[in-house]
Amino acid sequence: MKCVEREQLFAFTHQMLEARVESEVRAHLAECSACRAVAEGFRQLDAVLDEWKPTEPSPWFDARVRAALAAEGEKRAARPLFGLRWAQLLVPAVVMALVVLGVLLLRRSPQAPQPVARQQSPQVSQPARAVLPETQPKPLAKAQPPAVTQPQAAATAEEDELSLYQNLRVLEDYDLLANFDVLSELPARGKKIVN
Amino acid sequence: MAIDNDLELMLRVRRGDAESFDELLHRHRLPVVNYFCRMVRDRALAEDLAQEAFLRVYQARHRYQPEAKFTTWLYRIATNLALNAIRDRKGKGSSAPADSEGEVREGDSEVEQIPDSRPTVEQRLVDSDRERVIREAVEALPANQRAAVILHKYQEVDYRQIAHVLGVSESAVKSLLFRAYENLRGRLEPLLKGGQV
Repeated sequence: MKCVEREQLFAFTHQMLEARVESEVRAHLAECSACRAVAEGFRQLDAVLDEWKPTEPSPWFDARVRAALAAEGEKRAARPLFGLRWAQLLVPAVVMALVVLGVLLLRRSPQAPQPVARQQSPQVSQPARAVLPETQPKPLAKAQPPAVTQPQAAATAEEDELSLYQNLRVLEDYDLLANFDVLSELPARGKKIVN
Repeated sequence: MAIDNDLELMLRVRRGDAESFDELLHRHRLPVVNYFCRMVRDRALAEDLAQEAFLRVYQARHRYQPEAKFTTWLYRIATNLALNAIRDRKGKGSSAPADSEGEVREGDSEVEQIPDSRPTVEQRLVDSDRERVIREAVEALPANQRAAVILHKYQEVDYRQIAHVLGVSESAVKSLLFRAYENLRGRLEPLLKGGQV
């Protein structure tokens, strides 16, 4: 007669065996005092462990849990719902996107203002246009790109300056030059300046 | 209206019924607090952990799936909290070397000591000597064995449920319990022979 392993006897005393195996162990225990003693040892151990009695929670335990739950509820109430939060963020985001889009479209337009030409002094530019219609200024600057990097910006500034000089042919007109106080003392047209 | 089924109560909690949560709290606070008391020894910490467990149940109510027993889910939350607390305590005040990975070690034949698990003067006065010996024997078990024994013996959780709670196979639970009982048998030998401590 082969004895049952201790682990199986432990499982037997704690109802962990399948019905078929359990009946086999039960039959063995009826005949084997050594295995019965082992099984009894596990039962005694269970009985000893039962002496560790439970303790009551403190009287304020329930109140503490409810307070924690209430605090949790308040925290959630103070925090907007996920969808509502997105809705609140969406409106300003759309407005901002529209503004940025509008600015970009304006800057890309070929009718964009040409800041260099406008920066000329009105004393000079207005008569120049009147006197010399053929000196209609060339397009001075290309359409401004929406976003200009620093090297691109520098290149654009150089082009603008060059265009300005090219359009300064208008200054060759003596009548125009004579309007300047500094130049008024120069000799009349055709006379040589004698030092 | 009395509802016997924890699962039905939890489904009501999921739908926002606060009274059902009160009922669940009332039903399970004693076993849950005792589970933590036995796991971590310190009663104040045990109540903090029990409170945290109920709070987590409430916070996770929308994710609750009524596939397993409510108590399985509850003890899974509670066991994670308890094992983390034991690991944290070992990491903080332990003079014994902690595991390099910070995990709760499960020894095969060795038993590990909780460093600050000595009973307070008050506990010594309250506890009987026999009860103290039993408590110290259980507390000396490796954390996973301790959880398995307490769930099985004191919380009356079925070993199949324990497998879900601990995230191991049923055969692993049987083996874990057997090793734990063998450890306890060695430590409680004087009591088994009917002697006084």
